[in-house]
This record gives sequence, structure tokens and C-alpha cells, in this order.
Amino acid sequence: MGKAIVITSGKGGVGKTTSTANIGAALAQQGHSVVLVDADIGLRNLDVVLGLENRIVFHMIDVLKGKCSLQKAVIKDRRIENLFLLPSSQVDEKDAVNEEQMLHLVGQLKKSYDYVIIDCPAGIEQGFRNAIAGADEAVVVATPEISSIRDADRVAGLLAAADIPTRLIVNRISAAMVKKGDMLSKDDVIDILALDLLGAVPLDDEIIATTNKGVPATLEGTCPAAMAYEVVARRLNGEVVDDVVHNVGFFARIGRAIGLSHTA
Amino acid sequence: MQQVWNDIKGLLTGRRASKEVAKGRLHLVLAHDRTGLDGAKLQEMREEIAAVIAKYVTIDAEAVDIQIERVSRESTELRVSSPVRNHSTLS
Ligand SMILES: Nc1ncnc2c1ncn2[C@@H]1O[C@H](COP(=O)(O)OP(=O)(O)OP(=O)(O)O)[C@@H](O)[C@H]1O
Ligand SMILES: [Mg+2]
Repeated sequence: MGKAIVITSGKGGVGKTTSTANIGAALAQQGHSVVLVDADIGLRNLDVVLGLENRIVFHMIDVLKGKCSLQKAVIKDRRIENLFLLPSSQVDEKDAVNEEQMLHLVGQLKKSYDYVIIDCPAGIEQGFRNAIAGADEAVVVATPEISSIRDADRVAGLLAAADIPTRLIVNRISAAMVKKGDMLSKDDVIDILALDLLGAVPLDDEIIATTNKGVPATLEGTCPAAMAYEVVARRLNGEVVDDVVHNVGFFARIGRAIGLSHTA
Repeated sequence: MQQVWNDIKGLLTGRRASKEVAKGRLHLVLAHDRTGLDGAKLQEMREEIAAVIAKYVTIDAEAVDIQIERVSRESTELRVSSPVRNHSTLS
């Protein structure tokens, strides 16, 4: 029996879809079978981020309406073993699905895959309730900004009320701005939200470049954000892994070069 | 270390790092959000509390203030402050 994890945030545009794609690809690369579920009905995006948009025939709503079987709607990613996508519909509305249907659908998928990762829409309305309905665990994505953290806190409260264990990804961290004191650090965000950290992902141009190409950064290789998502994937899988250290300062770098210290 | 340096820099330049401003604002915003009270409810509560206090001591009802603040990860504190006008009414 697999595990269902919902990726959520409250606020839009903070990196839910990016995180879903990269965590999914990383877990698949690490040898697990993974199905990604696009729960953003009417605004589907996970397919383009994954570069699978040309392969879609059927989608989630077709399955729920009995137009096709679940197996038929799930697309296999040909670049990597064990990565699959259940696309959303671009033409239906959020209320085309209810929580019971989602619970059932996710339950079906958990029988066939190690991980079911659900990309939640922005907001806290029906789309959100649907996306969390079948989840065993939740990941809240927040950027180090006031509005994002505020919305993340709201969502974390709703997840706690629904008894879903929740961990945090702090996304789009700029080490340079944190250093100047002009951006909240990952520790500030953890402290404010009082959630356990799953990972800290740097602001990384490669995310935009790889998204342009429709290839998750974790499939391409070794950019800082990809490495951070690999750590996230391992932690989701229950492994204990150290943070990747990005953008180490000048003195720490020299110190390390001459063998003085290991910490940055 | 970085924190200390930023603090010193802040003292020297008279400029507070913007993230410190953000932290302060977030603490207040989240404390309010977490109570689930909106502005009207808060106003209503303030008026009721002022009325209760006014039964026992002389106060300026307008000066009664409610502050909601996150004191730690787990707890949010609601503090009412009310300047008392006339000390002789206190026994
Ligand atoms: N770590 C990062 N570094 C640089 N750019 C990023 C990073 N994470 C996300 N982005 C960019 O931010 C934008 C929003 O990301 P994404 O679409 O994943 O957010 P979302 O939360 O799914 O949005 P929505 O709420 O609309 O579904 C995208 O252009 C994405 O490429
Ligand atoms: Mg999205």
C-alpha cells in the first residue's frame, strides 16, 4: 500500500507544481513507483511542467465520469522508469469533483504505486478540500515572504484540523538577500510557522530553464534546486539526510579548503 | 554571527534589516489570524470588556486596548490594557 502526499500552500505561484514535479521525478529516480495527480481542475499545469502535455488523451474527470478506466488515463513518463501522471481537466470546474470521489481515486492509486503525490490548487476552497481528502501527509510550500507565510499558516491550521501530518518546504530562498538581512531565512520561517522542515530550496534560474524545456530539474542533474529536491525526496521516504549547503561564504570556503571546518 | 553583524550594521546605519520588520509584522498578523476574530468581533469584545471594567473602576473606555501576540510557538496571548483614571477608587 502506497502513501499519498499532498503539496499545498494557500497562496498561488509559490512552487507547488514545481515541487510536485521535482519531488516525483526524484523519488522515481531513487527507485520508487510514483504517480503525480494534478488536482488543479480547470487550470492544469503539471502536464506542461513535466513536458507530458502532448500525451494526454483522458483525464481525471473522464475517470470519475466513467468515460475511461483509471489505468487508461494515467500516462507513463518515458524518460524514467516508474514515473506516472494522472492529468487534470482543463475544461471542467473545481466542483466537478467531490471529496469522496477523490478519497476513492487516491485509494485506488495507492494500491498500485509507492507514492501518490497530489498537486493542490491555490486557495482554501473546494479544490483544496478535494486535494487533501485522500492525503496521508501534507507538504506546505512557502516562500520567505509575509503573504506566503501568512497563507501557509492558515493552510497548516486547516491541515492540523483534518489530522494530516504536515511538513514545510521553504522555496525560492536567495542566500544573498538573506545575508543582507532583506529576506527571512529558512530558520525564521520554520520558527514562525512552527512546522518541521522537509527542505529548503534556493531561488534557482535552472528551475525556469528546465521548466521551459518540460524536464524536471531533478531529471537533468545537479543544479542547487535539484539537489535540494533530492534531499526532500529522501526525507519523504524516511531517510535522515543533511541539508545541502548552498552558496557557502568566502571565509567558510577557505576554511574548508584548508581543512579548518566542516560547517558553513 | 550573521545576525550579530546585521544588528551592528543596523545600529550604525540606523536602518533595520527589512526581514526584522517582516518578522514583527508577521507575529502580529498571525496572532490575529489564529484567534479567528475579525475586526468587528474584536471591537465588540473591547467594548464589552471596557464596560465590565468601568463597573468597578473609572476608566476611559476609549483607551482600553487589546493586544494579541504570539509569545511562543504554541501559545498566543491576549492582553487587555486599560489606564485607570482615578487611583482613589482602588482599595
Ligand atoms: N526554486 C525556484 N527558483 C526559481 N523559480 C522558481 C522556483 N520555484 C518555482 N519557481 C517558478 O515560480 C513560478 C511558480 O511556480 P509554480 O507554478 O510551481 O507555483 P504553483 O504554486 O504551482 O502556482 P499555482 O498556485 O498557480 O498553481 C514558476 O514560474 C516557477 O518556474
Ligand atoms: Mg500549480
